[in-house]
Amino acid sequence: MSVEQHQHSLLECLASGDPIIVNAAQQANELTEMMKRGELNKDEFMGLMNDIGRQANIDSHINNFEAKQKLNVAINGLINIASLI
Amino acid sequence: MIRLLLTLALITPLSGCVLLDAYLMTKYDPNEYKLITDIRSQAHKYKEECPNAEQSKTNAKHIQGQTELFMMYSEHIPRNKDVQAASNELNEIAKDLNDRYNKAPVSVIFCKLKFDNIENSAKRMQSIIGSRPR
Repeated sequence: MSVEQHQHSLLECLASGDPIIVNAAQQANELTEMMKRGELNKDEFMGLMNDIGRQANIDSHINNFEAKQKLNVAINGLINIASLI
Repeated sequence: MIRLLLTLALITPLSGCVLLDAYLMTKYDPNEYKLITDIRSQAHKYKEECPNAEQSKTNAKHIQGQTELFMMYSEHIPRNKDVQAASNELNEIAKDLNDRYNKAPVSVIFCKLKFDNIENSAKRMQSIIGSRPR
């Protein structure tokens, strides 16, 4: 597959609706354009593309944390209500 | 209370361990919050210093020291695996920049994008660390 074909796949990812995927696809597309313009060398491009994966992992861990946080608030809220009854 | 937790375990699609993790969530830790705030603030400042190659090399070394300190600080905090895992990833982003400065000169744009990545990731992590239950 060519660079342009991969970029086309990235553009399709923008329609996914998942903010982690959309953000990663946008960044990957911007970096690819920068590499094509010669603003980034091959090694720098690869390093920054790896960062996209790392940032997506961070977002995924944060989403897990936020889900637990909501559950914590709900559980403790229910416990407080139960203790008042 | 146990009955309530058991009921919640049955009615939620989450496993019992996740439910227990959520119930016994690690409380807000001001040291942890300060460390991640320092990383965010330094990355923001260091981004502007990228045109100065010598200073940026020092900055890259310093910020990696900070992300490593944050990773080690988080490591043994109980029921903290999401932040632990995120701190490992953040340290890898910073380590990559420091390693590159140790090998060869780095372009200004690459330096800025790397510090941007560190700043954005630290900002996201800061928001959840700051919202831990008091």
